[in-house]
Amino acid sequence: MAAPTVLEHVVGFSRVLHDAGLTVNPGRLIDLCQCFDFIDIAQRDDFHAAARATLVSRREDIARFDAAFAQYWEAPARTPIRRRRQNADDEDDAAAGERGARVALPDDEGGGDGGEGKPLRLAWSPDEALAQRDLGTLTDDDVERAQRLIRDIVAALANRRGRRRASHRHGRIPDLRRLLRSRSFYLADGICPLTWRRRRVTRTRLVLICDVSGSMQRYSRFLIEFMYALRRELSDLEVAVFSTRLTVITDLLRRKGVADSLRQVADRIHDWAGGTDIGGSLREFNERHAPHMLDGRTAVILLSDGWDRGSAAEMRNEMARLRQRAQTVLWLNPLLGTPGYKPLTQGMQCALPYLDHFLPAHDLHSLARLAGTLRAIGA
Amino acid sequence: MAGSGKETPPGFGSIDEIRERLAAEGYIADRMLATAVFLSVSLGKPMFVEGEPGVGKTEIAKVMARLLDTELIRLQCYEGLDSSAALYEWNYTRQLLELRLQEARGVDRAEIGRNLFAEEFLLQRPLLKALRSEGARPPVLLIDEVDRSDEEFEAFLLEVLSDFQITIPEIGTLRARHIPFVVLTSNRTREVHDALKRRCLYHWIDYPSFARETAILRARLPEVELRLAGQVCRFMELLRQHDFYKRPGIAETIDWARALLALGVAELSEAAVEETLGCILKYRGDGDKLRQLGLGGLVEMALMPGHDPSAAAAVCA
Repeated sequence: MAAPTVLEHVVGFSRVLHDAGLTVNPGRLIDLCQCFDFIDIAQRDDFHAAARATLVSRREDIARFDAAFAQYWEAPARTPIRRRRQNADDEDDAAAGERGARVALPDDEGGGDGGEGKPLRLAWSPDEALAQRDLGTLTDDDVERAQRLIRDIVAALANRRGRRRASHRHGRIPDLRRLLRSRSFYLADGICPLTWRRRRVTRTRLVLICDVSGSMQRYSRFLIEFMYALRRELSDLEVAVFSTRLTVITDLLRRKGVADSLRQVADRIHDWAGGTDIGGSLREFNERHAPHMLDGRTAVILLSDGWDRGSAAEMRNEMARLRQRAQTVLWLNPLLGTPGYKPLTQGMQCALPYLDHFLPAHDLHSLARLAGTLRAIGA
Repeated sequence: MAGSGKETPPGFGSIDEIRERLAAEGYIADRMLATAVFLSVSLGKPMFVEGEPGVGKTEIAKVMARLLDTELIRLQCYEGLDSSAALYEWNYTRQLLELRLQEARGVDRAEIGRNLFAEEFLLQRPLLKALRSEGARPPVLLIDEVDRSDEEFEAFLLEVLSDFQITIPEIGTLRARHIPFVVLTSNRTREVHDALKRRCLYHWIDYPSFARETAILRARLPEVELRLAGQVCRFMELLRQHDFYKRPGIAETIDWARALLALGVAELSEAAVEETLGCILKYRGDGDKLRQLGLGGLVEMALMPGHDPSAAAAVCA
């Protein structure tokens, strides 16, 4: 058996996979090699099946794996490792360029929508006074107050009882395991203090999905402060922004320096202040990000005015999917603070049946109320 | 590393043998899946099976238990599943009784309670039971819907699945008597941690091809006519091309065929589909959507010749 060449090929193949963006650790390669004792590697299909079972661990990777497999084993390139490295770098650059380009692609005619959105705005903004106490003009004091409020909000969200139990002096369930191991149990003559357990409070994880389309522009300063304040309070926070498409910006918010990262955010999101497609953006979220961001203890906060130019049916479907996966879905609407506002827009109408809470968020006062509401209902 | 006292269950001769024996038990696997099962048995590594609901993920464990003629130990996951429900728990009642007995026997005070934390006072929960099983053959352990559990539970699993042992603080480490055949399933409502997946062989079960689905249907419901089976499977194939909230799986196909049989339907018709729609689509919105798409058109397409169900006979054989 020409073992060395097979091994060489396996390693070469793992490099191709790596270039294709699939990480293969040595442990898995060893598993694959162990498979050779049991299968006939001359049988291409069997070898393919074995390689896939050992090297892949996500459904999304299967297509890329199959492509790389076909490419490599059709004509196994026996390029020396040094050259491969170089190629790999080139490919990385190419891939990076492509990624950048993809984000930049204005394929949702975002700009056009933004322009059309303007006449609509006249329909709901009669209140000049609102603009003055708007969060666009925050002083440092206000920012500090806002942070305190946000801390309250987070605390209110995080007080859900989990299903696991931990020792606690004021628990309700006797902790027999601990009792039987305690000294006092054996030393006492008949009577000893019981140990107790109670359900542990689990921290709620938060996902914040912000609308940054044209109609939300006047609240954008507030939005950003809100994101940053939440970010500081919660380590377990994911932030996404959308107008016609959705971008996750959690990693950008991690950086220090608001001004600097703001520029980065603006660089990455090309349709900031563009049109709105809530349904499409939610779909993107549900498909690409929900599996790893959402679980039974994640609260999703949507921050949007509900002006939507996408399809109503899609929006309804995606809201239903979102609702099913998250613990709580909250919608904060800056317009809700406007006297006489009724959530009659198509987007809001579609979303309302799937919301746990629909709350105003247009100034500090409303944030204070939000914290109060959340505590009262024990979100 | 290899052969360090680890004893793998009796392997199968070849991939084809597994495939045939699975088919004999009524489980029609494609070669990809058969290879994964074969390797899982041969390497003694757990299988991590993902796929849409109703494509036969859980079934594979049940069939393997029948095929290996051994016990099936099942652990259904849910949020908050903890070690006392999944691994082991101390039998407090027996421990307390033992103390009373020791007192009554007049055991020396210093000795009282010495042996309380021994294996005999341990209640075995599924994972421990699978490792300590006394049967002649290694059992099949099914860890169903891992995605429903939480991260803490995944952490319990790591030790069990990589080293087939459980460490109990009061006793020490309990090793597996036999290495069980382990199947983990997931519906992908959330992503399971990589550390867990790394210890397993991964397999994604897709919706079956027309021929395979017909074969599965015929294997599970031999009384259904080949003609009707072909129509049913073709209809399902067409249905799955559309984007429903919950696409029907093979489980639905079998249920539906059973319902059609019960109603004495010999050939698919719009009325028959309408009556039995509840077997296929379980959400009101999906039913509405199907009507929007035009039920009649779909039925007509399903009845069109060109899809020869007898090709499925080849898969069956």
